[in-house]
Amino acid sequence: MTDLEVRIDDEIATPGDWRLEWDDRDHGIARVVGDGGAVPVLVEGSGSEWFVTLRGRRIPVSVRTWRERLMAEAERAATVHSGPVAVKATLPGLVVAVLVAVGDEVEEGAPLLTIEAMKMQNEVRAPRAGRVIEVSVASGVAVATGAALLRLD
Amino acid sequence: MAAAPPFARVLVANRGEIAIRVIRACRELGIAPIAVHSDADVDALHVRAADHSERIGPPPAGESYLSIEAILDAARRSGAEAIHPGYGFLSENAAFAAAVEAAGLVFIGPPASALEALGNKLAARRSAASAGVPIVPGTTVALEEDTSAVAEIGLPVMLKAAAGGGGRGMRRVDRLEDVAEAMTAAGREAAAAFGDGTIYVERLVSPARHVEVQLLGDRHGGLAVLGERDCSVQRRHQKLVEESPSPAIDDGARQALFESARRVAGTVDFHNAATVEFLVDEERNHYFLEMNTRLQVEHGVTELVTGLDLVAWQIRVAAGERLPPEVLEAPRKGHAIEVRIYAEDPYDGFRPTSGRVTAWRMPEGPGVRVDSGMEADTDLRTEYDPLLAKLMVHADDRAAAVARLRRALDETLIGGLQTDAGFLRWLVDEPSFVDGDYDTGFIDRVWGSGPAPSAEERAMVAAAAVAARTSLETAPARSAARATESAWGRLARREGLRR
Repeated sequence: MTDLEVRIDDEIATPGDWRLEWDDRDHGIARVVGDGGAVPVLVEGSGSEWFVTLRGRRIPVSVRTWRERLMAEAERAATVHSGPVAVKATLPGLVVAVLVAVGDEVEEGAPLLTIEAMKMQNEVRAPRAGRVIEVSVASGVAVATGAALLRLD
Repeated sequence: MAAAPPFARVLVANRGEIAIRVIRACRELGIAPIAVHSDADVDALHVRAADHSERIGPPPAGESYLSIEAILDAARRSGAEAIHPGYGFLSENAAFAAAVEAAGLVFIGPPASALEALGNKLAARRSAASAGVPIVPGTTVALEEDTSAVAEIGLPVMLKAAAGGGGRGMRRVDRLEDVAEAMTAAGREAAAAFGDGTIYVERLVSPARHVEVQLLGDRHGGLAVLGERDCSVQRRHQKLVEESPSPAIDDGARQALFESARRVAGTVDFHNAATVEFLVDEERNHYFLEMNTRLQVEHGVTELVTGLDLVAWQIRVAAGERLPPEVLEAPRKGHAIEVRIYAEDPYDGFRPTSGRVTAWRMPEGPGVRVDSGMEADTDLRTEYDPLLAKLMVHADDRAAAVARLRRALDETLIGGLQTDAGFLRWLVDEPSFVDGDYDTGFIDRVWGSGPAPSAEERAMVAAAAVAARTSLETAPARSAARATESAWGRLARREGLRR
């Protein structure tokens, strides 16, 4: 499987001498075994997108074939400039502050609004620079995961 | 054990792990446990653990688990004689406790008058001070527009909500010019959460340990002080780890703490279970924070060191039993630690995570206890508390307990979403935690957003992912056969292996 490229945090990772032994394959429970002993892991995923939980931490890993790498490159090139982007809620909660208005120019990472969930105030930030062309929520509105919050051009 | 059960039927007005905990105690006492459920919990574990469950409304807690009317209706329909509120939800609601008693049922908790008196943290602070218990320097009246009191107390200070709890309405203020704005924000948060925006001020005690004392009282004046728990590992002023005994105090400080806890309880008509919380500074001075008039999340830590079943005793004293000398003078043995496993991402500010729990393997073996309401292939309900499990260990001394906790965490595997298990596994190797040397600022100062995976861990993760991908692609037939194997087949194989 020399043509598989593994990336963790977008950096190449090499498997070394570790091997995998399944415990309960239906639930992804296994052990990583090497010279130093065996460590329980949980493996989830399919295709090129995987998660490996090791010592309690769930780590995203991409395992891509040569063909998948080419496809991903092409896709990335195509999305560098695209149309308006919708900003959606990544967790359910209550909108407690809307920090921008239609027409505002925002930088990438700028705070757009605040959602309170599970006793926490969570800032929603701009995924990229752009102009606010639509605000779909107001302070005091409860939103579900995936709800459209606003749009950037 | 009393020959006759204290009650025939008890309604458990909660959900998740604590409902299961109370149901287990009911069963051991010979009581028929009645569960309640919202529409989101029809198939939940706590419903299946009970003899019978009553529907109490739609998923939002405000229309189900927090509805006094719905809970009382369920109690009447099911013929329950008493109601156990668990923790959270209605457990510290004086109006609920009063309504339960008015309906001719028994509220398994302290009297409504105690809930009322201690629910207001500012009033509780005043009563504690007049009972001779040290309180954190600060105001004993509400902070008004005139904020000159803050300058007298000395910065930095903590603004706190009188009706507060759980970190809500709390703000740290470092500069005088920020007081007004912080007060407005804290007041707004408190008003939204508790319907009361009253704010008071305490001087910031830092570094500080959070140490609390477990109380259990009967209706005849018997009061047991069942040791302390150190809950200083916190994020957002909420606990993640609790242990007993506290590694921070000596016997002298411990006895002083117990005496203060007794005095605070003496300010109200008290029976059943409650916890008195204190801050302890570097000189081992303690300051009263608040008294929680309910069973705590972390009660299991005390159960492990005392060998007592606190929930069973709550039920028995509620039925009028006296606490026997074995409880009043209960010796404490060994060391216990609890860690809370939450659906939170410790690598991203302990932000809540959501999704489906796809795999669920909890540790077992000597000295290990897991209280949980979760199982594999379950959607996490974002309407409710994100606590997945409480993992507790007990051993002869602290070093053995930490080693046991490390072993137990290594056996723990949860799939489908990020949890704080990675933080907890890091913690048990962190030298200052291993030495018992930590305070309430520990997570912010030492953890931050956690270390990056080591080179070895990256190699292990890479090896696992590559092997998983290649083995699933090259052996689809075998994988499919395993997936369709019947439950009986799996059981037979496991049984075969056991022999």
